[in-house]
Amino acid sequence: MHFWQDSEFGNRMITLMAALVLVLQIVMVTERWIVTNIRAFALQSFLLACIANTIAYYNNAPHIYAAAVFMLLVKAILLPVMFERLVTKIEIRQEIEPLINAPISVIITGLLTLLAYVVAESFHRPDEPLSPASLGHNTLAVAIALFLIGFFMMVNRRKALTQVLALLSLENGIFLAAISLTYGMPMIVEVGIFFDVLVAGMVLAILVYRIRETFDSMDVSRLSRLKG
Amino acid sequence: MAIFVLLSIPLFACGLTALMRKRQWMEAVHLLSGIGLFATAASLAGSVLRSGSVSSGNGFLYVDSLSALVAVLTAFVYMVCTPYAVGYLRRDESDGTLAPHGDAHAALRRLRMYYCLMPLFVFCMFLIVVANNLGVMWIAIESTTLASIFLVTFYGRPTSLEAAWKYAMIGGVGLSMALFGTVLTYYSAHQVLGGDSVSALNWSVLVLQAQHFDKPVMRLAFILILLGFGTKAGLAPMHTWKPDAYCQAPVPVAALMSTAVLNCALYGLARFYVLTTRCLGPAFASNLLILFGLLSIGVAAPFILVQRSSRRMLAYSSIDHGGIMVLGLGFGGVLGVLGMLMHMTFHTVTKPLLFFCVGNIQQHTGNDAMRRGASGLVHVLPISAPMFLLGALAVTGTPPFSMFQSEFMVLRAGFASQHLGLSIVFVACVVAIFCGFFHHVTQLVLGPPSGAPREAFSRWKTYPVIGLSTVVIAMGFWLPAPLYQLLDGAVRILAVQP
Repeated sequence: MHFWQDSEFGNRMITLMAALVLVLQIVMVTERWIVTNIRAFALQSFLLACIANTIAYYNNAPHIYAAAVFMLLVKAILLPVMFERLVTKIEIRQEIEPLINAPISVIITGLLTLLAYVVAESFHRPDEPLSPASLGHNTLAVAIALFLIGFFMMVNRRKALTQVLALLSLENGIFLAAISLTYGMPMIVEVGIFFDVLVAGMVLAILVYRIRETFDSMDVSRLSRLKG
Repeated sequence: MAIFVLLSIPLFACGLTALMRKRQWMEAVHLLSGIGLFATAASLAGSVLRSGSVSSGNGFLYVDSLSALVAVLTAFVYMVCTPYAVGYLRRDESDGTLAPHGDAHAALRRLRMYYCLMPLFVFCMFLIVVANNLGVMWIAIESTTLASIFLVTFYGRPTSLEAAWKYAMIGGVGLSMALFGTVLTYYSAHQVLGGDSVSALNWSVLVLQAQHFDKPVMRLAFILILLGFGTKAGLAPMHTWKPDAYCQAPVPVAALMSTAVLNCALYGLARFYVLTTRCLGPAFASNLLILFGLLSIGVAAPFILVQRSSRRMLAYSSIDHGGIMVLGLGFGGVLGVLGMLMHMTFHTVTKPLLFFCVGNIQQHTGNDAMRRGASGLVHVLPISAPMFLLGALAVTGTPPFSMFQSEFMVLRAGFASQHLGLSIVFVACVVAIFCGFFHHVTQLVLGPPSGAPREAFSRWKTYPVIGLSTVVIAMGFWLPAPLYQLLDGAVRILAVQP
């Protein structure tokens, strides 16, 4: 038996990759350049696809392979390429200008991660080793952390495109939660969600482009004429 | 069979319109799709009444009384919107609002976009109600947002981009919460049902096993679902996208959003409400629903009182009515649920009338008449203005109009479930909203004429108004028997006895 066939090894790999995913999310919070942000997002999605693959391999769940392929195609390749093209096309200033500065952001991110672990703890049932959650204790905490940090990024960003990235990374958290809790959603739902994500990415990219054309800026704080 | 027809008509209409070059043909397809959809939805409701529930595609599509009711309401709004949209867009075209420099091609492209996206929008809504799988339902709800973003930016003004951005972002965040909630529901059911078959997220399967679900997980799931679908329905405090989107979108789109989309979002919420109540008992879900319902009504009241724009006033009224429906569901029992569903039905019939009248007023005066403090519109728009007054009376729940009955029923449910104080707050807010509406609308409609020219008669824009107001008046005195049976069946689904 090779060492990689041991499920203990698989578990460690998953935990390692989940940790890297979390690190990338924190990188996205502090990173100042839009293009780096997009690449961090692509890498994060790639790692999630790897996690999905690993889980599929060790648990004999072939339908997760499909989810991994979709993840790779849609979120790690198609959308990042599209966003990078958009960035070059609209020639925006590439700095992000968050509302809260980097050190405080990192502290907030840390607190959110802590909160995520507390929430994930309530799902942990050590007396039921066979339930799917036993695999996902750490992973689930990371998933919830991604979700919460995604929220924080949405509020903390002023540029339209970076808000879209935050929304997508928030969705990455849900993907991770789904594969770590229940080995993914049913196939049809998985396909539908990725289709929606793809369409949403395109629609939002068009919207960003038109906002940029109309307002000569991507700063959403200029979108403040409608009141009452 | 009828389910497939229901889903294929809008797709077919969308595809056909995309290929067309003449405005008249697009309008014809649009009108036909409206009539066809309503007929199909009605026949589907008929077969549901005969046989209890209809499912097809191996249980993938499932229609019971609740979904049939929402489908009929959606099809009704769409049907009345189609002729109005024809008149409304023709007027826009002749005014030159569609394309900046009288560019006929650009105007035609815009029209084609409208006539393509509108059926697609409706398709997503029908998918919400016929999908048995809760995951597919979520996908369809998200798709309604995606299909309607470019309808909100229809006029391409800077303000409409702003509205669409808020709509997309707030909606996106909200729905991602709902997705998380759906994942957690799946997880809490997973341990009971096991396996990863497609049916493991089917509502008709879940509802039978709901009492065995993992309780703490279901609790978290319902909170996320309520926040998520509540955002889509525009419950306070997640309502901020709503006034912006409604005042920027073309009037038929706004009418559809404020009624059909609201119904569909609440429909999704109601499905999860049944699961949660079966799993956790009635108190948990009820208290949350009452909180959000009252908050929405309470937020809407002051904004309506001081409102300066007629369309935003309608948006806040929609927030208010969404709140009343959720409140009815929260009070629970047969009375509360019946109140909610009747309110949904009557609101769906009444609200488009108000939007159409506002649209007519706005197109005639060239801007938001209320903002300029116009008065005496009854002399200028002899049909739309009085009907606006009538609609305003109906929508604020003045007897003899039907919404009085449903609001009264919600109130009775409140008293029956021992929520005395909350019921009094509810009545106070409803009265405040009535005062606000009455003040603004009478000022606009009655009073001395402002000397503007009389409106030229337009068939397309007037007959829908006359037809709808006939329905509104008739419904105050008479509820068709099949509709009542449908409501009754839906109540039996929602009013769970733990």
